[in-house]
Amino acid sequence: MNDYRLVLRNLFGSRSRFALTLTGITVGITALVVMMSLGGGLRAQIERQATDLGANLIVTPKGWCAYEQVKVLSGNQLPDAIPPDEVAAIEAIDGVTVLPYLTVGSAIDNEPVPVTGVRVAETVAAKRWSVAEGEIPAAGEHGVLAGAAIAESFALAPGDSLTLRGTPFTVRGVMASTGTGDDGVLFIPLDVAQEVYETSGRVSFLAVSVADLSAVDLYAQRITDAANVAVISDRQLLASVLSVVDSVGTTLTVIAAVAVLTAAFGIINTMLMATLERRREIGILKSLGSTNARVFRVFMLEAAAYGVIGGVVGLVVGTAASHIITPLIAANEFTAFVGGARVSALPPLSDMLAILIGAVAVSTASGLYPAWRAARLAPVEAISYE
Amino acid sequence: MSDALIVRGVHKTYNGRSVPTPALRGVDLEIEAGTFTCIVGPSGHGKSTLLHLLGGLDRPSAGAVHAFGEDLSKMSDARLARFRAERVGFVFQFFNLLKGLDVTENVSMPMMLAGRSPREQRDRAADLLASVGLSEKAHARPSELSGGQMQRVAIARALANDPEALMLDEPTGNLDSVSEAEVLAILDELHSAGRTIVMVTHSPEIAARAERVVEVRDGLIA
Repeated sequence: MNDYRLVLRNLFGSRSRFALTLTGITVGITALVVMMSLGGGLRAQIERQATDLGANLIVTPKGWCAYEQVKVLSGNQLPDAIPPDEVAAIEAIDGVTVLPYLTVGSAIDNEPVPVTGVRVAETVAAKRWSVAEGEIPAAGEHGVLAGAAIAESFALAPGDSLTLRGTPFTVRGVMASTGTGDDGVLFIPLDVAQEVYETSGRVSFLAVSVADLSAVDLYAQRITDAANVAVISDRQLLASVLSVVDSVGTTLTVIAAVAVLTAAFGIINTMLMATLERRREIGILKSLGSTNARVFRVFMLEAAAYGVIGGVVGLVVGTAASHIITPLIAANEFTAFVGGARVSALPPLSDMLAILIGAVAVSTASGLYPAWRAARLAPVEAISYE
Repeated sequence: MSDALIVRGVHKTYNGRSVPTPALRGVDLEIEAGTFTCIVGPSGHGKSTLLHLLGGLDRPSAGAVHAFGEDLSKMSDARLARFRAERVGFVFQFFNLLKGLDVTENVSMPMMLAGRSPREQRDRAADLLASVGLSEKAHARPSELSGGQMQRVAIARALANDPEALMLDEPTGNLDSVSEAEVLAILDELHSAGRTIVMVTHSPEIAARAERVVEVRDGLIA
């Protein structure tokens, strides 16, 4: 015999209780991993999207908040807000290249799909997209360039027909995967989009590249002078959107942390019950010569074991679950504003290790009071307890 | 022969929730090494309390308990635990085996607490189980044993660290006459081998086998 075998015997002695307590801490850790990977997934997605914007400045209508800025990065539908004369005024500024976006929506088989009107050829060139199949639809043509992911989910291939807002379109091309939200979007020529969606020449926002990067602020000034719009740099946009995403991530993590805390009370409860139930056993151990310190140690080891086992199982289950669940959660309304967040980013190894250490720390702390209670039981009292 | 156990002016009062209950009220007693002593008396008059004090399982409220030259009343909790592990062995009426452990592990427990190696534990447990006739039950759970078998395991466990004295609290109180005879035969054997035995009992027949009978009544030696 040694202490560790004694601990194992104690743990497995009451199997259902062991299983239930372990489930508590495992669920908590699993939730933590899933939530952290979901938050990380959103962040990674946003960062990819922003670097893929291919612009230095984003021109939006005045008064947009972070929520709408997120949609700029996600390709979700936005109001058509910038009138054609202002687009023209901005385009007239020397040294800027303008890519207008009109983000609208439609449905295929009753499933909503994002549709974006762009100057297809210019956009493909600016964003360095490559076309996997077919070709780029020409301006004025009722043709579609489908993102890789959306083409796959609806089995779209060049030559296929589909109806957007009651108007027949033909798929002209399918893009190679970009790894961004663009994969989930149907692109159509801007002029056609403006006509079909009756926006009177308005667009949702403009992505602007400037000739001289060192003078970005100067260009921003010129744009706001020329038109009644707001200008935000790609970095500001990223920071602004990330602050939203991070607060969502933090909220998710806090929720999961509450789950872990709840599990801690489960451990305290189990261990306290164990000290009551095992009063007699503690008394026997003491009558056989066990010191208080040893009883304390055995109880602490039991509590820590919950953290080690629950932590490891939670990390494994959480990793598996985030692969399975995260895409589902990302499809949920609450988080779906980042259109392409179908991929989770697992917390880095250092975070995993921190979670494990945290689990052991929480469970060990939970064992302190029960172990102290067990250790100070008087042997005679404990033995006469029936 | 020298005195193994010496009790001087011992009082023991249990502090209940409301009223303090005196269990022993000034006991003096010497027990010689190698003797077989029975403590008798009515229930609730302090027999078990006296036994617990002799074996260092409890501390006196006043007075001193010396065992094998050591003053138990002055020992720290940890020293007292070590004393229980190495110098005395307890056997109780309700066996007090650890339910989650098998017979060998139960017998090994005091050796583990005394820091003996797993190999030593295994070998000695096997010898002890053979000496109480339970070799074939080495890996049984306590729940698979009869009362008499459990008590023999408890005796083997009490002997694990080869203690100077055995402290038994009504060891046959829960046994049929056949099992009782088996247990008493083992005790006779241990006594003739020179071990100090102190036993609390209700039974006059058992007390008659002892070299000395001490009667405790109203917390005093009668």
